[in-house]
Amino acid sequence: MAKGYMGRILWVDLAGGEIREECIPDDVYERCLSGTGLAVHLLYNRIPAGADPLGPDNVLAFMSGILTGTGSLFSGRWMVAGKSPLTGGWGEANCGGNFSPAIKRCGYDGIFLSGISSSPVYLHVRHDGAELCDAGDLWGRDTVETEDILVRAAGGGARVACIGPAGERLSLISGVCNDHGRIAARSGLGAVMGAKKLKAIVLSGKRRIGIHDRDEIKRLSRQCNRWVQFQPPFLPGPQAAYIGVVMRSLPFQMAMDGMIEKILLRKWGTGSLNQASVEMGDAPIRNWMGSHLDYGIKQSLPTNPDVIRKAERVKYHCYSCPLGCGGICAMRGKYGETHKPEYETTLALGGLCLNSDMDSIFHMNELLNRAGMDTISAGGTVAFAMECYEKGILTKEETGGLELTWGNAKAITALVEKIIHREGIGDLLADGSKVAASRIGGGALECAIQAGGQELPMHDGRNDPGFNVHYSVEPTPGRHTIGSQLYYEMFQLWKQVKGLPRPKPAYMKERKYVADTEKAVMAAACSKFMNVANGSALCLFGLFIGAGRIRVFDWLNAATGWRKTPEEYMKIGVRIQTLKQLFNLKHGIDPWSCKVCDRVVGRPPQMEGANRGRTVDIENMMRDYWRQFEWDPVTGRPTDAAIARLEIE
Amino acid sequence: MRRSPVWKSNEPVREGIVSYRINDICNGCGACVRFCPVNAIQGEKQQPHHIDPGLCIECGACGRICQQMSVQDPFGISCERIKRSAWPKPVIDRGLCMSCAICLDACPVNCLTLELTGKKGDLHARPVLKDGRACIGCGFCAAECPVDAICMAVPAGEPAVSRQRQNS
Repeated sequence: MAKGYMGRILWVDLAGGEIREECIPDDVYERCLSGTGLAVHLLYNRIPAGADPLGPDNVLAFMSGILTGTGSLFSGRWMVAGKSPLTGGWGEANCGGNFSPAIKRCGYDGIFLSGISSSPVYLHVRHDGAELCDAGDLWGRDTVETEDILVRAAGGGARVACIGPAGERLSLISGVCNDHGRIAARSGLGAVMGAKKLKAIVLSGKRRIGIHDRDEIKRLSRQCNRWVQFQPPFLPGPQAAYIGVVMRSLPFQMAMDGMIEKILLRKWGTGSLNQASVEMGDAPIRNWMGSHLDYGIKQSLPTNPDVIRKAERVKYHCYSCPLGCGGICAMRGKYGETHKPEYETTLALGGLCLNSDMDSIFHMNELLNRAGMDTISAGGTVAFAMECYEKGILTKEETGGLELTWGNAKAITALVEKIIHREGIGDLLADGSKVAASRIGGGALECAIQAGGQELPMHDGRNDPGFNVHYSVEPTPGRHTIGSQLYYEMFQLWKQVKGLPRPKPAYMKERKYVADTEKAVMAAACSKFMNVANGSALCLFGLFIGAGRIRVFDWLNAATGWRKTPEEYMKIGVRIQTLKQLFNLKHGIDPWSCKVCDRVVGRPPQMEGANRGRTVDIENMMRDYWRQFEWDPVTGRPTDAAIARLEIE
Repeated sequence: MRRSPVWKSNEPVREGIVSYRINDICNGCGACVRFCPVNAIQGEKQQPHHIDPGLCIECGACGRICQQMSVQDPFGISCERIKRSAWPKPVIDRGLCMSCAICLDACPVNCLTLELTGKKGDLHARPVLKDGRACIGCGFCAAECPVDAICMAVPAGEPAVSRQRQNS
């Protein structure tokens, strides 16, 4: 019977060149779904404790999700997972494009790679089999060139995920790229691929994906699409910045309906609120020390979404996405075009370094995409180096003559190039700010804004403490795509899942900083829900329109033929989260070590700006969160009772 | 230079997928082999051919091209030959289309591409049939489109066929 998933995975031993299939029993999907759920279910047992993330014992998994290819919308995410060399614990990254359905078209839910190849290779999975091919000629090429060459070699129609020079040079902030610059960037898994000497995976299967009830899926998709296509006119870009000013000035906050976010994403993409985020205190400025007073509306004007939109030539839709938040933009220089810089990229290379030169951001965006490097971590690391330079921890001699003063766009671009090529100071910084700080010493660690080794994204936890909680408690720390107080409001899970609290339509801002059980329930719900989403390959932006409009649980039931309730799916989310936490504990990660650094929780509090005087009671929020999963609130370790109840072996 | 031997999937039939079959009437002309997008058909020239059920994706191209009507669909019904120019082709309703590119992924012969076909200022690219000759009329694009923006139609000027095959 067709159930949406393919029921098997491909194992490739890169050392011996052995390739084999493994059938996955139905009950595993019922307990862990597919995607990262299936990956952690298998890798928890199969990566030995203490394994070197860049050694032969680490296993790298490329996963699709249950809903991919079923006709459900927003289900085109693919995930790469394994032990992270950046955090030392569970690593996963998530990306759009067209790679996810290609995994299933080859007949698999995931492709797992172990061992280390003796020379550079790429894996080509065809309709009828698979082979490892020599990639000596590709080694050293950037991701766009590599993809073009491999697609041509496969005769067109193939899908490629590859690493660039950053991954080859084992940069711990490198990722895996597809579709000319979409990148599964976080957790440093590009370095794992580089260590395995695996340049790329090429997929050219054409299998059909069996589904339990296609008509029902289509009915739900049409219903969802009606909400996505609802697009009333919105303020012009320069005026949108003042939304942030208003939100900063009001003493209270209103619960956000994600339809507003959807309208912004469809019109401009993730950069829609570049300026507004700076104004409202959501975007960190000057390595988390500054505020809108350092990077005011005039300075941030070049990052205005209307400015970016002028360069946009065509909207970019990932597979099965009716929204199209991405875009292909024309730009100056030899590359000619680039993917539209995302919010995270623009702010990490912009406001975080006080850089107002949008042309340089376009250029660095393309450089980093081609190198296969995480733009968030690259921006965070550059800002770290600039603060060190300001404080005299790094000198002009050490930077190779670069004047790393705030806003120096030329120096920032030059530094990014050095990091990509591991030249001079770039070699010191290519593994992220925490590794660099430990090498530099002398107070540099204070300048490294990270959680568990990973640079923090461009959402300030002093503005929405929910971000700080998820940066700290997630087994993949420092991630903005899992939850926050804002996300909970937009997910509207209370409409589908019994027992979840409905936020008040308006509340005083002080309420956000009080550590209480309700906030822990909300944070835990976000984690559980995103585990279900990552098992189904769903996109966060689609989920923003609200659970009543995007019927995730009904899609899953229609695809698989299961009759599970939303509460049962949320329990699967608990199981996946617990498995990830157990993975971290097995590999010696103390959950407390992933807590965000003091500056990010407001110790000491900022003296000016939207977040002045704000301090987040992060320790109590972490303990409350762990209680929600029946983990020990002192150690963060899942209790035996919880493990038994979740039937984890 | 290949490092590893080509590994072949040894699973003959995947769950939920049934296959087309070639019966004894086959004269081994090889027309089906040329049209099969997944190289699932094998056989010596002038000898009866065979479809590998583990590879067949049920596109039905072999059935439409076979002059001998020796191909049977998964229900055991003999497929009727259809003149090549009368194979149904996708017709895309731009008003309904949401640019999700599911159809491009579903197409086994990559005959669709995305182009800016909307009004001025509409930057959402929509699918168009870039290569009508390559289209095998399988209808997978229409079957997988979540908003039913694609219908399969016989090109204008062609006589109506007795039985139009649409696989879903």
